[in-house]
Amino acid sequence: MTDEQSVDADTDQDRDVVVPLRMYKTVTVFSTLFAVVGVVGGFVLVDRATERATLPASEIDPIVALAGIGLIVFGAVVYAFSTRFRTEEMGKSKDDAAEDSGNG
Amino acid sequence: MSLERKDDHDHKGWMESRELTTLESIYLTTLLWLDKRLRIVDYLELLEDLYYKVNMQMPKSHTEQYNLDNKFWYWYPLYALGSFSTISYIVAAISGALLGFYYAPAAAASDGTATVAYESVQLIMGELNLGYLLRSIHRWSAQVMVAAVFLHMLRVYFTGAYKEPREVNWIIGIVLISLTLVFGYTGYLLPWSQLSYWAGQIGVEMALSIPLIGEWVAQLMFGGFTLSQSTLQRMYILHVFFLPFITTAIIAVHIGIVWMQGIAEPH
Repeated sequence: MTDEQSVDADTDQDRDVVVPLRMYKTVTVFSTLFAVVGVVGGFVLVDRATERATLPASEIDPIVALAGIGLIVFGAVVYAFSTRFRTEEMGKSKDDAAEDSGNG
Repeated sequence: MSLERKDDHDHKGWMESRELTTLESIYLTTLLWLDKRLRIVDYLELLEDLYYKVNMQMPKSHTEQYNLDNKFWYWYPLYALGSFSTISYIVAAISGALLGFYYAPAAAASDGTATVAYESVQLIMGELNLGYLLRSIHRWSAQVMVAAVFLHMLRVYFTGAYKEPREVNWIIGIVLISLTLVFGYTGYLLPWSQLSYWAGQIGVEMALSIPLIGEWVAQLMFGGFTLSQSTLQRMYILHVFFLPFITTAIIAVHIGIVWMQGIAEPH
């Protein structure tokens, strides 16, 4: 893939954006960070809202519980969104088209 | 190495030259904004650089040297057992040093029932904050160390890594596995519980069974032919003073020799 074709938008489903290496590192590091903080923090909030899943449904704090679920979804979406970015010479992980590793 | 920003890539200009959707632009702009302020990636790159520079100082293994990694990589977990032993040794040393703040090696009964040693263990297990955790970490790391050292020995034996020119390190390894077992035995006696006491009794009798020098060994190691305060005291000093110094020094030599000779190729 040349630099000219760096946005491959055949279908909206497998959209694939080639970014410079340094930007790719930024995407990887920060999206992973957001995903981890979002999912773990979300579970902490859900845990707290339900007192570790011991409260009856009527006593659950809906705001905190929904905020927790929202945070989990947010982390997952950020992470999923980040998978469309890749850098030069990287195989498309989504298409499973990477070159053979040569191991084994 | 420095944190001077050397990256002159014009991210903004680059982004404008690409057909990005609004969402993608916002996403990338946000991340770049954060990147410029938190600079996590810069620090990670520093670490990466450090990692490679340190690695350059390491001897190449034979699988690297002859490009055998593609055939050999599934044996690698077994090559981690030496590190695994060392790590569990360090964990045991740290947790043991902390336990030492609360343990007292006295075989005397404090109030006519349990001994001081046993009571201090009960204090650690029952009343001390995180004491149960601390002793469990110490005990588990000891168990893991014995297992890892033994498996490490099997790996070295079955890959033929003990062969010339590594005979000396094999002998040192045998000394180390013995020291590990003595560490385990002396530590086992320290709670001065029923298990400890009768394990000590077995030790005395094993020492006495040695021909010619048996009585002398029993005196030296156990401070007599029956268990007493001097037995516990000796086990304690062996466990927290003699063995740590000796074992740490020999481990350093053991690893130093591996460093010098390189990892052995499989025979």
